[in-house]
Amino acid sequence: MAINKKEYLQEVLETHKMSHVNSLLDKYRDKRKSIKEALEDYYTDKIYSPLNSGSYAKHTAINTKFDLDVVVPFKKKSFSTLEEMFDDVFDFLNDTYGTEATVRKQKVSIGIIFYKDDDNHEISIDIVPGRELNEDQYNEDNKLNLYVNSKYGLLAEKTHLLTNIKAQIEHIKSKDNERKIIRLLKIWKSSNNEDYKSFLMELITVKAFDKDNISGNLWEMLESTMEYIRDNITKDGFTLSDPGNSGNNVADTLESWQKENLSTKMKNMLDRIEDNSDNLKIYFPVNPDFKEEDNTKSNEGYGVKTGASTFSVPTQNQRFG
Amino acid sequence: MDVEVQIPEGLLNKIVNAGIKMYPKEYGGFLIGFYSEDFKILHITETILPSEYRNSKYSFERSAKGIKGELKRLYSLNPKQYYVGEWHTHPDNSTQFSMTDLNAMIEITEYKTVGISNPTLMILSINKSGLNDFEFYVYNDKKLLRYE
Repeated sequence: MAINKKEYLQEVLETHKMSHVNSLLDKYRDKRKSIKEALEDYYTDKIYSPLNSGSYAKHTAINTKFDLDVVVPFKKKSFSTLEEMFDDVFDFLNDTYGTEATVRKQKVSIGIIFYKDDDNHEISIDIVPGRELNEDQYNEDNKLNLYVNSKYGLLAEKTHLLTNIKAQIEHIKSKDNERKIIRLLKIWKSSNNEDYKSFLMELITVKAFDKDNISGNLWEMLESTMEYIRDNITKDGFTLSDPGNSGNNVADTLESWQKENLSTKMKNMLDRIEDNSDNLKIYFPVNPDFKEEDNTKSNEGYGVKTGASTFSVPTQNQRFG
Repeated sequence: MDVEVQIPEGLLNKIVNAGIKMYPKEYGGFLIGFYSEDFKILHITETILPSEYRNSKYSFERSAKGIKGELKRLYSLNPKQYYVGEWHTHPDNSTQFSMTDLNAMIEITEYKTVGISNPTLMILSINKSGLNDFEFYVYNDKKLLRYE
């Protein structure tokens, strides 16, 4: 029997919500807080306040695969080179956490993967050091230069990348429909072991919504986005501008054969789902860990007290912290 | 809960600007809006700023003095608009809610003249010149659930 694609995809998103893993998230937040404090204590006036970034900050995280990212904005005069900055942060983190975690240099970040705890939880935090582009201007322009430690698309290793993390977060944060489609594409990526960068999927989804005026229900929006990727990613001159730096073309992080592959995968998925809607379950599976819980709660909306109306007069005085 | 929150960009900017004016102290206000027919989507349409308040870098206390008339007027509109929650800023701090925030939302929900049972809390992390980040939390059964 054909499935209701819209309702099925809603269930997929529900079962992948981060709120299902709140206790694990608390551990992540605790680790992130202690790392930020350690960095602030060590680098004192060399840095501005570290900033939360990544998928959790952008509300595009899924509970089957996530990490928390922290951007550390260094002042212009803190280090003479970006490489020196990157190596110094690595050394500090390795000295501080090396006995309880694997600390490793990644493309533009330093990954800290804490050894599994008693609950078999492995906490992973990525630290992204960046140096302000213009002296004493970070609070105004939010522009940072990142060190590119290893080859990053067309960017060679030991080079730099100008970006604006805050602009990247703003770019996606208030786009509700786009975020749903991004989360679905990340679920596809994660459950089918696809290696495409999440940032690229974010940008191409937002571009699809902008260019193709995508609307409709959840399935219709996903279908239109997949069609957009299928039809456009391989086109000559197709660009995906980093909202933090329009000079970064994130489409360049894919080689041309990878673009062909992505287009073909979108075509195959669309064709197979068209043949049989049940195939949607292969590409976009529910998270079985939270399926049962979800079934009991999925219809729960905002509530009104028994016998009351929505008209409310709040407490006379109320303190927040 | 299977719910959504929608806020127009213009209103978000208005809230951010009100918060920045009070930097480095916290500031906040009331959220006005309405639920969709199936009670799944909250449309936030307006904010009311408190006429009386006390604030510091780490706390904000608002009074609801004088807002009842405005709430009645909003409820007479089509669609009816009503109190749906609260917002406040965390200057140079995260969007994570505090225990004081959670207790405030418990007290609000349990208050006799509050008809809604899942008020929304919006927390904005700001600096002296702009918004760092913002989060919505939906109150449910003595917990604040981060809106995803």
